[in-house]
Amino acid sequence: MAVTVETYATLAEAQRAMAGGRARFLGGGTILMRALNEADPSISTIVRATDPALRQIRPEGGEIMIGAGVTMAELARHRDTAFLAPVARVIGGPQVRAAATVAGNLFAAAPYGDMAAALLALGATIETADGRRQPIEELMRPSGSGAGGLVAAVRVADPRGAFHFCKVSRVKPKGVSLISIAALLPRPGGRIERPRIVFNGMGPRPVRAAEAERALEGRSLDAAAIAAAARAAAEGFDPPDDALASAWYRREVAGVHLARLLTGIR
Amino acid sequence: MAIEFRKDLFADERDDDLNEIGKPTQRQDMLGHVTGRSPFYDDHLFDGLCHIRCARSPHHHARIRRVDTSAAERMPGVRRVITARDVPHNLNTLLSLLDFGLDDEELIASERVAYKGEPVAAVIADTERQAREACRAVRVDWEALPHVLDVEEAIKPGAPAVNPAYPGNLFVYHGKYDHQKLRYGDVEAALRTADHVVTGRYQMSPIEQAPIETCGAIAAPETNDRFVCYTSTQALFFSLGTAVKLLDVSSARLHFIGGTVGGGFGGKVDSLHEPMAILGTMLTGRPCKYMFDREEEMQVGAPRGAERWYLTDGVMNDGRIVARKFVGYFDAGATTRLSSYAIIKGVGHLPGPYTIPNVYADVYCVFTNRTPATAMRGFGVTGVDFAIESHMDEVADTIGMDPIELRILNAYRDGDMKAHRRLAKNTALVECCQVAAGKAGWGLSQAARAASSLTGGGGARAELPAFTATDEHGRVAGFSSGSYAQGGRPAEPTGRGDPRPAPGSAPRPEPRHEPPRHEPPRHEPSRTPEPRREPAYAGAPPRPEPPSPAPPAPGEPPRRAPTRFSSISGLRRR
Repeated sequence: MAVTVETYATLAEAQRAMAGGRARFLGGGTILMRALNEADPSISTIVRATDPALRQIRPEGGEIMIGAGVTMAELARHRDTAFLAPVARVIGGPQVRAAATVAGNLFAAAPYGDMAAALLALGATIETADGRRQPIEELMRPSGSGAGGLVAAVRVADPRGAFHFCKVSRVKPKGVSLISIAALLPRPGGRIERPRIVFNGMGPRPVRAAEAERALEGRSLDAAAIAAAARAAAEGFDPPDDALASAWYRREVAGVHLARLLTGIR
Repeated sequence: MAIEFRKDLFADERDDDLNEIGKPTQRQDMLGHVTGRSPFYDDHLFDGLCHIRCARSPHHHARIRRVDTSAAERMPGVRRVITARDVPHNLNTLLSLLDFGLDDEELIASERVAYKGEPVAAVIADTERQAREACRAVRVDWEALPHVLDVEEAIKPGAPAVNPAYPGNLFVYHGKYDHQKLRYGDVEAALRTADHVVTGRYQMSPIEQAPIETCGAIAAPETNDRFVCYTSTQALFFSLGTAVKLLDVSSARLHFIGGTVGGGFGGKVDSLHEPMAILGTMLTGRPCKYMFDREEEMQVGAPRGAERWYLTDGVMNDGRIVARKFVGYFDAGATTRLSSYAIIKGVGHLPGPYTIPNVYADVYCVFTNRTPATAMRGFGVTGVDFAIESHMDEVADTIGMDPIELRILNAYRDGDMKAHRRLAKNTALVECCQVAAGKAGWGLSQAARAASSLTGGGGARAELPAFTATDEHGRVAGFSSGSYAQGGRPAEPTGRGDPRPAPGSAPRPEPRHEPPRHEPPRHEPSRTPEPRREPAYAGAPPRPEPPSPAPPAPGEPPRRAPTRFSSISGLRRR
């Protein structure tokens, strides 16, 4: 069976073309094209959109608007998204970063999704093709129904130094992550207020470490608080056994890497 | 980093007049690789190329009640669907070319699958996509069977039988035992007199060779009823011989072209693709490509097999190891491939590069419902070396001795008798330890620094043990020592369900181990004979005369496989 490629000028048109539910949307193609090259029989129609707005990064209403089609390489070098550069720079190699998109990462299955984890920690907002906005939590919920349409942009506030990230991989550089940890730790007046700690690789989707967040709430970032967060790090998670690591190993090292990340924060 | 040659060591054992060894040299294929011009098999383009893809077992172990290919055959672009009955001689073991082991593997499963990913049907279609879609339309009525994935579970009574050729889930060595034995001295007696007994359990998981170029082959019709086959094989004539046997054709009709191997490491000897690609071409008259995708390479492509080892050492307070006992389990997966041979190789290596007067090994080649294992870089030795060296550290720790000193003390030296009854020569472990310790700034005692591989060996250490304890445990009946591969060709393609000799049944008359072959008398080479360095086998039994070839027994069917490499069983006389 031949594969059809449909190209539209706007995301709205692309959205309508996808209505049948059989088509697949092409972002950067780092996952979809690989499957297509291997003749995955589940792919019959590919839809793409060429709207230049999808490639824009711009400040808007106190937030940064990142177009869905912005690549990791663009994100890594844009001044307004400097806080995301440490995440973008460790995703794939140069070829992957030149193609892989922000919105694609939101839907990339484990072991991918490091950018999604970062955006979840930052409390980003997702904007769909028809202009609706929703918190990224809705999208990341394992039982969620997705964005309910194509993602047009991601909005995120500059964390002003309160965002921290680490990726744990066996191959460096370019290895996929065993786990990655993204943490937003606002400390007005020296005490941590409403921390958001996200693990990727501890489940099918990036997920917040509620117990570790609770252990840090209202405390200063000292050794005792870090130890408490590390102890609680893996609680409530059901990590996978896969070719990269066993579930047991992930549970053992989750707290270790969280403690290292937190200890490294001045 | 520059290579440092330590030519001061063993200088008198070496003529330094070699043109290549010890000098930097460029790989002959490197220019092609870096300029992107090396031709790989997949670079050969054919007009009208068809693609072969396999429908595979989703189960570790299952009976095939029925394979329904009718829907797949009606799919667009599908030229043909191949099943087991289309394979002219659908039973083989890779080493049958070396006359080692029973035929125990089908190219396409007929009645049973014994590992996840085993092929049950192959679709030939105009595009890869069409072949994949048709594979999904192949309907198989499975009856899942209990499976076993652990070597020690697999040899317990009542474990699921994995391979009908070997009902006990164990390869049979020399027609006699369900494991490979090594007996040298009396380990049990020595363990009783040792100051310490140190035990350990070590295991190694399967390791996939993971070539960048996945395994595959392209076949096409040639003139004069011949077929050409471009292949990624790393063993061209091995693959040719295997294709000849499975397809039941003369090798004169097959034209194999190898060349650039995009990563082999042992993972490209199994010869699964060449027969399938040629069969596809025979059945359709079209050029056919059969190639693993990445997932198949990882799941179905044979890895280095898993191993589990139990070691027991008897050690004296001064650090001398007086006994070493091995019980080893190789996980062959569902079929033998090369695992049986790996054990022969590994046991010849025991007890490692050490002189230990009492050595014992039972090593089992176990069938489980895992992906069949095959060759990979030093297979048969790598796993047990990991076990041995880890265990040396455990021993050192137990008796409170420096681990490098322990190795130097027990290292084999020139002229020592090894457990496989050959004298050691050109040994160099002592010097390796000394140089490594020096590089690491690791202090050694005066005695360890003064030790040498050239001294301290031979003499009493060259003698075989006065007494070697032997036993008959693991004895099986009904298997013959040579000519494992069935004589003659079955009248019809043979299925997996064939009745096979089971342990306990009456032994068949033993076919001969060697084919009749009259070697010309050997002449000594004219160069000066080496001076004898060791007392010649003091205490050893006299060397047996080479067996005189017996004429073939009357009525014995001609053998199906050549026997050019009969030394593989380790029984070669020297």
